[in-house]
Amino acid sequence: MSADKVRIRLEPLSVVVEVPRGEPLLSSISQLGFEFPCGGTGFCGGCKVRVLAGSVLVTEQDLSAFSPEELAHGWRLACQAHAETSIVLECVQWHMDVLTDDSGQSALKPGLRKHGLGIAIDLGTTTIAAQMLDLASGDILAVETDLNPQSAWGSDVMSRIRAALTGTDLTTIVRSKLQAIVLNLARGRELEIDEVVLVGNTVMHHLFAGLDVEPLSRAPFESALLGEQSFSPQELNWPLSSACRIRFLHCLGGFVGSDILAGIVAIGMPSADNLTALVDLGTNGEIAIGSRRGILCASTAAGPAFEAGTIRMGMRAVAGAISRVFYSNANMQATVIGDGEARGICGSGLVDAVAAGLQSGAILPSGRIANRTKIFPVCEPVVLDQADIRELQLAKAAIASGFRLLLKCLGASADDVQSIYLAGAFGNYVQIDSAIGIGLIEAPKTCIHAAGNAALRGAKALLLSKEESALPEIAHVSLAAEPNFQDEFVNCMTFPRMKHIPEAH
Amino acid sequence: MSQSRELYDAVLNGNAKKAHEATQAALEAGFAPMTLITESMVPAMDEVGRLFEAEEYFVPELLLAGRAMRSAMELLRPLLATAGEKMSVKVIIGTVKGDLHDIGKNIVASMLEGSGFEVVDLGSDVAPERFVAAVEEYKPQFVCMSALLTVTIPAMKTTIDALNAAGLRTRVKVLVGGAPVTPRYAREIGADGYSESASGAVTLVRRMVAIA
Ligand code: B12
Ligand code: FES
Repeated sequence: MSADKVRIRLEPLSVVVEVPRGEPLLSSISQLGFEFPCGGTGFCGGCKVRVLAGSVLVTEQDLSAFSPEELAHGWRLACQAHAETSIVLECVQWHMDVLTDDSGQSALKPGLRKHGLGIAIDLGTTTIAAQMLDLASGDILAVETDLNPQSAWGSDVMSRIRAALTGTDLTTIVRSKLQAIVLNLARGRELEIDEVVLVGNTVMHHLFAGLDVEPLSRAPFESALLGEQSFSPQELNWPLSSACRIRFLHCLGGFVGSDILAGIVAIGMPSADNLTALVDLGTNGEIAIGSRRGILCASTAAGPAFEAGTIRMGMRAVAGAISRVFYSNANMQATVIGDGEARGICGSGLVDAVAAGLQSGAILPSGRIANRTKIFPVCEPVVLDQADIRELQLAKAAIASGFRLLLKCLGASADDVQSIYLAGAFGNYVQIDSAIGIGLIEAPKTCIHAAGNAALRGAKALLLSKEESALPEIAHVSLAAEPNFQDEFVNCMTFPRMKHIPEAH
Repeated sequence: MSQSRELYDAVLNGNAKKAHEATQAALEAGFAPMTLITESMVPAMDEVGRLFEAEEYFVPELLLAGRAMRSAMELLRPLLATAGEKMSVKVIIGTVKGDLHDIGKNIVASMLEGSGFEVVDLGSDVAPERFVAAVEEYKPQFVCMSALLTVTIPAMKTTIDALNAAGLRTRVKVLVGGAPVTPRYAREIGADGYSESASGAVTLVRRMVAIA
């Protein structure tokens, strides 16, 4: 790096650019995909960053945008800043909303005969959420969220498996990130930690534990090593007390892991008298349905459409994304995150938009865009094209058909299900009306609830309970082995016919 | 009158019951089975393929059309056999080892069959040895492979290698497809053709038959 150049690194994506010293960030970091929602006038606050390393002078606009305390913590408006030194910035607009869970003792009804500190970690394919608890009181003492550092090797579990099989050490990568998270949570109280409980899908379980993922790379996608994996701090090289136990809870079968086990516990399915369901609308699309008499689960491989991953103008739920679409009085209305101009559409906006299109008649139940242009305008300049709607059809059909088949395996019908909990980030933000409107969930609205980060909540409950309370049997169903899958999948691919919405008078 | 409009419409609209009835009626009216295939069914499947390319049709419509086609073929196939008539081109198709995604493969199989080719469907999770054995047994001109998983795509290469090792590679054209397969990967592993859609698979086979 020559003397008159400085380096800017943007987190959490860790992208780097070298620029001449003194250059305004406004001109240097937009090429990295950083957005200035108001064009850099200093009014919107959408370009907010935190200086993690190096220094950035406080400007007048910063003084009005931030409290003295925030300024001291390094908060600045990127649009006003100049790169006088090499800097590392944390970009709020790139932060995935990592769901945590704030239920402490009361909601968890712990056996509370433990003492000391405990940590619960939800190790997701994309995000990590962790909390430290007082095991005696159940109080939450600290929270940490982060992105899974394995993401650099692909966003879905299959890519991770492939990376691991071709020699990448994803185990060390994730263990050292988790070690950092644990130390951040403990902040000097490392030796008081008695127990760490981790939950995650089967691939996360295997990669954390250093197990061979080869069996997960080919049919029938079953590993023999689904059990709980327990470690001492020495084995992981974590500076915790040697009495501490670190447990990655057991998987349920196939790709369905302990995050779903935890979710099942969190929503109270093991003690429910009536059928209750958990639907995790992530890329793996896990579903569990059951009651205290027994539980079935499956993964349906929906793909990334609900995260707008395969959508042409799709983007994460950050500034500029259309997050809501309403159709009323023959009018389409969209809400854009950050109130600026729309740049794309996120998962919840996508489901809303298609539900609205079905209502207006612009999209037919077959999924076809009614007019010849094959373009469905959502909100200038954002449009959906035919292929986008097809992607959504595949994803929603995967979930809906998986749900129907599990019900069939239970010998039950949709009416027997008393509550359906939607887990995962998308499940938390999607409009339930729209999810029903596109046939993603086939149940009355009153039955459907957002579950928040059920995996983390369940992990805490399991951490706090003194003994593993007896759970009903949880059996895994492999949908690939279901001869009816294709028929059910195709049946679910079309959209429900919209009931006519009476005009408001 | 050379074509059965009813059969054409029934296949195009994916109505299996009507397709069966129309075929029966046409046979009773004296149509030759081969004529029904070439003059009614193939044009109907072509139109289905065109509508898919034009983004009018999607997976459900393709599967329904395939089902309608098959219900007609059930009546026609035995008649072709007794008349000693044979489809001139034979294709074997399967989803590669380790992979159970067969919906795309099924659509390709039925589009090919509806386009007048003889199709031997080996199913899914088909090991390279089974592809090799099937080439020896059925002596097809084409081998079609489908894969939907990043981790099973390499099985396409293993299968091509196995065909090479068995000395069969030059006797067949190998076509590959499935959502994650790219034209570049197809070239790298030495496949003869790739298409992103089932109708594209039909076009490929037709083009290669014309050249051969
Ligand atoms: C349906 C589905 C399933 C069903 C499969 C049922 C069945 N009988 O096929 C079930 C639920 C069982 C399943 C299971 C799994 N799945 Co799955 N599944 C899907 C899904 C939703 C749709 C696939 C599909 O049918 N598409 C429709 C067909 C028509 O398209 P197509 O196959 O591409 O075919 C077209 C073209 O490609 C072409 N074509 C196809 N073959 C050929 C061949 C030739 C020669 C030619 C020329 C053309 C051609 O023509 C077709 C028509 O135009 C996708 C996600 C998505 N939204 O796409 C995931 C997806 C493919 N699955 C995935 C995964 C990971 C799995 C599982 C491993 C894990 C899991 N979570 O359970 C298991 C493994 C099962 C197994 N042993 O193989 C991943 C793959 C990711 C990756 N990077 O590899 C996907 C992408 C979802 C995701 N992102 O997680 N799955
Ligand atoms: S872009 Fe900096 S405040 Fe709007």
